[in-house]
Amino acid sequence: MGWEEAQARGYEEFVRTAQRYRGRAIFALFCGDKDAEGRSWCPDCVTAEPVVRKELHNLPDESVFIYCLVGDRTYWKDPNNEFRRNLKLTAVPTLLKYGTPQKLVEEECFKAELVRMLFTED
Amino acid sequence: SVEAHKEDKPQKTMEVNGLTAVPESYDYDLIVIGGGSGGLAAAKEAAKYGKKVMVLDFVVPTPQGSSWGLGGTCVNVGCIPKKLMHQAALLGQALQDSRKFGWQFTEEVKHNWMTMTESVQNYIGSLNWGYRVALRDNKVTYENAYGEFVGPHTIKATNKRGAEKLYTAERFLIATGERPRYLGIPGDKEYCISSDDLFSLPYCPGKTLVVGASYVALECAGFLAGLGLDVTVMVRSILLRGFDQDMANKIGEYMKEHGVNFIREFVPIKVEQIEEGTPGRLKVTAKSTTGNQIIEGEYNTVLLAIGRDPCTRKIGLDKVGVRINEKTGKIPVNDEEQTNVSYIYAVGDILQDKLELTPVAIQAGRLLIRRLYAGATTKCDYVNVPTTVFTPLEYGACGYSEETAVEKFGEENIEVYHSHFWPLEWTVPSRDNNKCYAKIICNIQDNERVIGFHVLGPNAGEVTQGFAAAIKCGMTKEQLDNTVGIHPVCAEV
Repeated sequence: MGWEEAQARGYEEFVRTAQRYRGRAIFALFCGDKDAEGRSWCPDCVTAEPVVRKELHNLPDESVFIYCLVGDRTYWKDPNNEFRRNLKLTAVPTLLKYGTPQKLVEEECFKAELVRMLFTED
Repeated sequence: SVEAHKEDKPQKTMEVNGLTAVPESYDYDLIVIGGGSGGLAAAKEAAKYGKKVMVLDFVVPTPQGSSWGLGGTCVNVGCIPKKLMHQAALLGQALQDSRKFGWQFTEEVKHNWMTMTESVQNYIGSLNWGYRVALRDNKVTYENAYGEFVGPHTIKATNKRGAEKLYTAERFLIATGERPRYLGIPGDKEYCISSDDLFSLPYCPGKTLVVGASYVALECAGFLAGLGLDVTVMVRSILLRGFDQDMANKIGEYMKEHGVNFIREFVPIKVEQIEEGTPGRLKVTAKSTTGNQIIEGEYNTVLLAIGRDPCTRKIGLDKVGVRINEKTGKIPVNDEEQTNVSYIYAVGDILQDKLELTPVAIQAGRLLIRRLYAGATTKCDYVNVPTTVFTPLEYGACGYSEETAVEKFGEENIEVYHSHFWPLEWTVPSRDNNKCYAKIICNIQDNERVIGFHVLGPNAGEVTQGFAAAIKCGMTKEQLDNTVGIHPVCAEV
């Protein structure tokens, strides 16, 4: 079986989704919310998403990719929001391998090479 | 007459493993063997100048099976976890002191080894990852493979699955570092651990015997005791060989008074397992170095810290003619870090007669690359390099020890100024009032220039850094006296 994608909005849903796939390798991309036209308030997320999606075919078998919208700009800017507090996120976009210290932040997510490295190497 | 200039091809070819070696063009400008402090700094620097660089890093697992990621000793099993665990121990002390400053808590304070170790390992993991990103971002090729020379300009890289690949490069940098030495007695590899295992040990070590008197031994013994464990240090002769002995003895005294047991002038001759477990129970038999006395002791863990040996004997140096010191394994280099083979350089702990410190390796690596690829001429300055030993009472030093100064300049030509001090923070909790100590050694014949600085006290590393810069500028005693102190801090002494 290859990899699969799940989507989540907000912290609670993210945690529930991650729990559902407990035991499998989980990769997550955190982006700012999108408006009715599908554009995110976070310009770097707009740049990063296509780069990340293009590398998804490199995900290991059995792994899960969670695409998570964190919230609106105001929520994100709050230094105490759950993503910052519990997941130690410092910026969006963040692409990480759940449960490990491996992550890519902001412009690092624009680099296909780095995304590929995160998906494919130990 | 002028000979027609042949293409830059070697006239001889060598048969190596069935292949003809030494091609006209190389796979890489530079291959770095060893992804530690020196190797990574050099690799990143070379990439900045547009060079095609490869880093090979491979950790041969310890006898206990421990291994780690990219970054070398400092990041994984050295400076970083050491300082964090030292900090854990200091915080334990601070919690005790805090009651005297009015903090009230009824619960007894206990330490959880697993919580600390997991946090430390998590941080190290983020550093390993950071290095991977940095290398990739700088277009440096990294392979987790064991590198060894097989012929001129040619290296074989073997990964953990045993797959072999050959690579060639115009130049090589050996930065393979060192690994802990074992005693060579029955039971050492089967039952003892080293610093390579300690920082990721998946269980609390319990009652521990530390064998050795190096800074590694004393730092580890120090923080283990600070975390509440029963610790004994077995010393063959003196403490901290190579360091100022006056300071070394003060460190030992302090540790003894604060619960570390010392067994002096004994060496272990046998380690046996009484009971398996995590930790188990071990029986250690030791012999006196001054007589025939034999003693026995029981411990949960035996930590060997008797020295480190360079990783230079199994990397094919003989195949390319790189000379090493047969006795120590170290590589002699000239003042440009070049070995006797002109296209092979070396940096870091493996160098003969150079300080084994991360910042030294980094500095030497960077300057070497700048000289090779950016036309720089600056050589690494190994003089007046500051260091700090993170024993429970920290020791910072820069320059000559008292013994070395006397030997070099003569006792009548040096003046030693010293003082005990009582950190203000220690007064209220009634901690020792005569243990912290500082001394400077001055050269009378050279305007009383400060040639040695030693301090024993909290935050010694932070204190020493500034003084190291002053010594590099040639500070004299008079200038030091004329510098007004900051009050109330330890450094004002």
